Amino acid sequence: MSQGRPSIEPLPAGAGRSGQDAWFFCLRILGGRYAFEAALVTEVVRLGPLTRLPAAPSFLPGVFTHRGEVLPVLDIGQMVGQGAIVIRASTRAAVVHCGPWKVAVISDGLEGLVVIPRRNLEASPAESSGMAEFLSGVARDKLGTIAVLDLPRLVEAARSRAVPYGSSAP
Amino acid sequence: MSEPVSELLMFQVGARVFASTVRDVVRIGNVADVDASELIEGTSLGPTFGRERGIVVAGLDGAAEATLVVDQVLGVRSVLDSEIQPLPAFAAAVIRSGAVSRLVLLDDAPTLLVDLPTLVRERLAATTTRPSPA
Repeated sequence: MSQGRPSIEPLPAGAGRSGQDAWFFCLRILGGRYAFEAALVTEVVRLGPLTRLPAAPSFLPGVFTHRGEVLPVLDIGQMVGQGAIVIRASTRAAVVHCGPWKVAVISDGLEGLVVIPRRNLEASPAESSGMAEFLSGVARDKLGTIAVLDLPRLVEAARSRAVPYGSSAP
Repeated sequence: MSEPVSELLMFQVGARVFASTVRDVVRIGNVADVDASELIEGTSLGPTFGRERGIVVAGLDGAAEATLVVDQVLGVRSVLDSEIQPLPAFAAAVIRSGAVSRLVLLDDAPTLLVDLPTLVRERLAATTTRPSPA
């Protein structure tokens, strides 16, 4: 997919849910290739000027406006403690719906949709730290290895690990 | 019938511009005229650069007034109440301050609407609960 396009193509009916192929949305984060279920992505947008929020966790670098809607930005690298993604004028974000949460996931680069035969999906390594904690599998395509993220679980973990106002630290 | 309108006081802390409802503000003053013990600094809004102005906020439940130190007071803007919106749900769920729960789009940029009494209360609470040095 071209990064110059404002939104992604609609997925074929049933994509990512059944059949021999799995559809993922692929992006590059801190030198690695990561992907998550393509159906979570509603569009790809250029990141506007960020408004930083006071007392926000490091994985929430700010909010920005897209077509009159204010979207929170999620830095997955910060969430898993692997470092911040550098935000540039060219940075694009994948807008995703994860349950009740709508967030714009930033990355070092967006590859777009990838189709992986299900037989090429492997179980994730049994690690429980960093990004590995949120992997649901590993896939391979002609460009190499793709780590498949359980994005809804990652977003929910981000929410639960933050200590919102009025709560006690765990 | 015209839409309800809110008057917002625009102010700057560091490089960032914030807004608050005018009804939260008692008056604007000079920091130099206020006893240092009554100044509120180091809030979650970030560090100040110039410390030129103070926004005097009424104390809650009969508490004394407090003066929030800011860099500049930029003026008052009128916005339609319908233009004020809550923070995005995810941001509201993870932010560690109750003083910022709404925003307003000004010139298409999200400008945070600060609840000044809550900001002052949080800062005072953080000061009183800070552990003393060993």
